[in-house]
Amino acid sequence: MHATIQKPIDEIVKCFKPGEKVFVVGCDNCAAKCHSGGIPETEEMANRLKARGVNVVGWCVPQPAGVSLCKLANTKRVLQEEYGEQIKEADSFLVLACGQGFHTVMDATDGEMVHPGCDTVFGGETVTDDFITEYCSLCGECVVEYTGGLCPVTLCAKSLLNGPCGGAKDGKCEVDRNRDCGWQLIYDRLKQLGRLEQMKDYVEPKNHAKWSRPRSLVVHLGDATFKSLGGEHTVANKD
Amino acid sequence: MSKLKEALESKKFVVTGEVGPPKGVDIDKCLDEAEHLRGKVVAINVTDLQSAVMRVGSMAVSAKLVERGLEPVFQVTCRDRNRLALQSDLLSAWVLGIRNVLCLTGDHPVLGDHTEAKPVYDLDSVQLLKAVTGLNQGHDMVGHELDGSPEFFMGAVVTPAADPLEPQIIKMEKKIDAGARFFQTQAIYEPDRFEDFVKQASEFKVPIIAGIVMLKSAAMARFMNENVAGIHVPDALVQELADTPKEDRKKKSVDVSARLIRELKPLCQGVHIMPLGWDELVPQVIKEAGLD
Repeated sequence: MHATIQKPIDEIVKCFKPGEKVFVVGCDNCAAKCHSGGIPETEEMANRLKARGVNVVGWCVPQPAGVSLCKLANTKRVLQEEYGEQIKEADSFLVLACGQGFHTVMDATDGEMVHPGCDTVFGGETVTDDFITEYCSLCGECVVEYTGGLCPVTLCAKSLLNGPCGGAKDGKCEVDRNRDCGWQLIYDRLKQLGRLEQMKDYVEPKNHAKWSRPRSLVVHLGDATFKSLGGEHTVANKD
Repeated sequence: MSKLKEALESKKFVVTGEVGPPKGVDIDKCLDEAEHLRGKVVAINVTDLQSAVMRVGSMAVSAKLVERGLEPVFQVTCRDRNRLALQSDLLSAWVLGIRNVLCLTGDHPVLGDHTEAKPVYDLDSVQLLKAVTGLNQGHDMVGHELDGSPEFFMGAVVTPAADPLEPQIIKMEKKIDAGARFFQTQAIYEPDRFEDFVKQASEFKVPIIAGIVMLKSAAMARFMNENVAGIHVPDALVQELADTPKEDRKKKSVDVSARLIRELKPLCQGVHIMPLGWDELVPQVIKEAGLD
């Protein structure tokens, strides 16, 4: 999921020109789970803005339940068919979702002015309803086969691929003594799995071209094609 | 030709020293510190933005040492440069007469004075060593041939007092496979613990130069115990420093360092003395340790 946190309300209010008519859009998937842009937060945002003198012409969180705002066809249909009048009236949109959902609203409104209401902070695991944390950095070249399933790019503060630096103390990272050293976690897990030998293998430097942005994926039922500065490759997902 | 390499290959017990470049362009004091080490050490490490604090670079001060006929160990961390800049700086260093390189990961920027800087770590220390090996062999990291190649003598670091030690040993072996020909260690204060490490590392048959950080006070020892990974000053030694009157601290620092060197000498191939500004005391340490 894409973890998001709302921008402070004072910062959001500053985005609007006097009299600007604003329509607020939330997301019923990730932002709903982060309580940054689900139905209650989006309605609340409309009210908070009104209370601060912003001219809010409406709000919506595109349904069906649980659908992502970043699904363009659905978002476009909902905004244009169910909120057509308010959309026409609006000068701009405030989006309570991740950066992808944000851009989806731009596309869904044929390029209207869009304001970000959230900071997109990371892609994470929803460990519990109130705790989300990061295990993957979306690097485009997964290495966790060699590290017991724990990502050194994400869990090590220096993204080291060949083992720990000398900075850990009592299993905690030099950048924050309350944070586990990623390589301590990897070492412990490989040992527990009986796969410590894997830590001895040399790992080549990452191909950062695969981490270049923007990247794209063309998906079909039988295959997918990933494109980055690292090149383009197609992989079949059936024989 | 690297004198450090020559000394280690001829099985001499080596002594290396260290200077830290200043924050600002007045490097006279730093060079004066290096002068105290002339004739006393075989090579002088020059730190690379030590503790992630912005300052004069290791290459500039290393080149100044070369000009003065002192042999530097050019410290290179992975923190601030990508693979293009690292390889380029290594070639530049060779052109400036630098022959030894020590490859390190580097402290994270949040520990330094530019906490919002982008940490680079495009390569890790093992990959950096491999890149240096490639340059020595006449090609860059993508296999392109060099017009003239360096012959760096390259080293790496290891933390003998790390707990657990096994990941350090695993990485140490990877560093050797990648081309490390000598190791300088984090500061050692417990010879017994160092001996355990040496036993585990003995199969590697690579020279180990034990780190000696000169203790200036009990407060410094306590600070390192709390904040610096892989350093443990035993309670008895902290007490010994605490019991020392202020005016005798320099003498005590010399005594403690010399004593440690005498105890460590049978276990390693050299010592790396990090005086942290007390460079003028290094000759005394060497004398008291019986190394001159």
